[in-house]
Amino acid sequence: MKVLVINAGSSSIKYQLFDMTNESVLASGRIERIGMDSSIVTHEPTGKEEIVEVKEILDHVAGVKRVIEMLTHDEYGVVKSMNEIDAVGHRIVHGGETFKNSAIVTDEVKSEIKRLFELAPLHNPAHMMGIVAVDANLPEVPQVVVFDTAFHQTMPKTSYLYAIPRTLYKKHKVRRYGFHGTSHAYVSDVAAKTLGKDLASLKMITCHIGNGGSLTAILDGKSFDTSMGMTPLEGLMMGTRSGDLDPAIVPFVMNKEDLTLNEVNSMLNKHSGLLAVSGLSSDMREITDSMAENEDAKLAYDMYVYRVRKYIGSYTAAMNGLDVLVFTAGVGENSVVLRQSVCEGLTYFGIEIDEELNKIRSKEPRVISKPNSKVAVMVVPTNEELLIARDTYNLVK
Amino acid sequence: MIKKVGVVGVGTMGQGIAEMLAKNSLDVLVLENSADRLEHAMHMIEVSLDKQIEKWAITSSEKKLILSRIQPVNNMEELSTCDLIIESIYEDLEAKKEVFKQLDQVTGASTILSSNTSSLSLTEIASVTRSPERVIGMHFVHPVSTVDLVEIVRGLKTSEETVDALKQFAEVIQKNSVMVFESPGFVTTRLICLFINEALHVLEEGVASAEDIDLAMRNGYSFKYGPFQMADHFGLDSVQAALENMFREYGDLRYRPSFTLKKMVRAGQLGVKSGVGFFKYDTDGDRI
Repeated sequence: MKVLVINAGSSSIKYQLFDMTNESVLASGRIERIGMDSSIVTHEPTGKEEIVEVKEILDHVAGVKRVIEMLTHDEYGVVKSMNEIDAVGHRIVHGGETFKNSAIVTDEVKSEIKRLFELAPLHNPAHMMGIVAVDANLPEVPQVVVFDTAFHQTMPKTSYLYAIPRTLYKKHKVRRYGFHGTSHAYVSDVAAKTLGKDLASLKMITCHIGNGGSLTAILDGKSFDTSMGMTPLEGLMMGTRSGDLDPAIVPFVMNKEDLTLNEVNSMLNKHSGLLAVSGLSSDMREITDSMAENEDAKLAYDMYVYRVRKYIGSYTAAMNGLDVLVFTAGVGENSVVLRQSVCEGLTYFGIEIDEELNKIRSKEPRVISKPNSKVAVMVVPTNEELLIARDTYNLVK
Repeated sequence: MIKKVGVVGVGTMGQGIAEMLAKNSLDVLVLENSADRLEHAMHMIEVSLDKQIEKWAITSSEKKLILSRIQPVNNMEELSTCDLIIESIYEDLEAKKEVFKQLDQVTGASTILSSNTSSLSLTEIASVTRSPERVIGMHFVHPVSTVDLVEIVRGLKTSEETVDALKQFAEVIQKNSVMVFESPGFVTTRLICLFINEALHVLEEGVASAEDIDLAMRNGYSFKYGPFQMADHFGLDSVQAALENMFREYGDLRYRPSFTLKKMVRAGQLGVKSGVGFFKYDTDGDRI
């Protein structure tokens, strides 16, 4: 069975075609600048040369059409005809409280995703365009939706409710949803398997740290708490996002600086985090490269690490223990120094990182703690697309 | 679908319109009647974007992207590829008619021709074109980027097709739209100019100071600006022109511009753009 995984943004489509007999990637690629004069199509058939073309792609329907043309092309295609695509899986950011698992796309599912537009106004409408575009191009092919929030639907009330008037939850569903769920689910599963243990028997914290970042406490194999909230702004300090702050700062600053809602939103999402504190960059590599001579970069780094460590501490307390600590995503998988710094301050919990193992660069899941460390520290490369393909395969077969 | 928009006349309103369109991912061509004015307008758009970066509203890469979508052009013919043209020159009927006469020559039948006039007759503007059904009013409110409103004004011969296209376009540029049948001052200009004019009468009668009248209306009725600061932002000459036009059209004394207003315009105290009106402003347009 071949599964096409699609991640549709407002002006982009990313795709991967999987052969589920061996979970191999046949091709991947992306279309950028949809709706503009010159859209860019990048197609990478596995084992062949990458193709880049610039052409006019006016909407997502035309975009998906082009993806299918690329995949079935005589020269750089990877399948003979579009009939070989057995199912399509979509990444959807927000599934609200409705979607606790992935789902086959039906009319009801579509209208529910539309209903959730207000919770994810930047993402869900774009995902919907992806679904409609597949409908138009592959009307007979079943589609599956996989939600970033679904994994966290197991959180207890104590984790997901905010201590504000209950009516706001009842009327507007104001609560913690959490994000990166597909990634937390994938790496926790791989981590347990790598250790040869049952996930349900482990107390685990997964640190998904990329440009955005979130930590999840996993108890009995389920998400117990996660650092992102109703939106992806809460929790860790991030590249350009503030993470946790006193909510009273918002009206105070709006008043003092005469800011509109849009301006203060943009300030917290795009002008804060590493970028704001360092005054240099939102990119962790640039921060770590320059922190020896740049005091502000060092401060940004220290604050960032401190907050990761604080969350690990609080989740360890919340679960009354910790067996496995997992690092994943861009920064988590690649920043040797960040993993070292985070773990250095956690020796009280019995965390002992092995400096040499930590330095090894690899695409495989691996343990980087010392054999006698009470907590196994691991690096597990994430693969959200594969999990989407698996869920799609399991629901459709 | 409307993808490329021409803006003719890039004074304060035209600058705001061009910037707002580019922010909404549209390609924008801007035209002025001299190279100097065009250069100045591009500079002012950049200044406006820089101020937004200072207020954390946009990032510097967003600024680059927005500016890359705004292209200055030197003659009317270059607007022939636009799907929509928005005229926003000064409020003078004859000048606007001349612009529309030329636009009619250089554009095809599928291009919608619109005017940002705040009070002039669309029917009369359309009368100089061969196809008045594609002529329509699109009245934005200053500051264009933050006020989520556009009045869509039908002239007598504006087609339903043109109206529908602009209704959809209003959604693309994320503005609430209200449908208005042609009438001097439409809804917004008629009500707000009367408000400003009445405030001037209150001032002239010595009832309260300009500062206090503004404070009262800001705090008492949740206006963002009081009537005088509002007038300073619009430009006192524009307020006077709108009132005079409505006075002429309606023949009703309540639209007669206050003498204080006329006097200030004669003295060149036009508000933010001249640095002084009822209040004083620095070159960035911030109140001193």
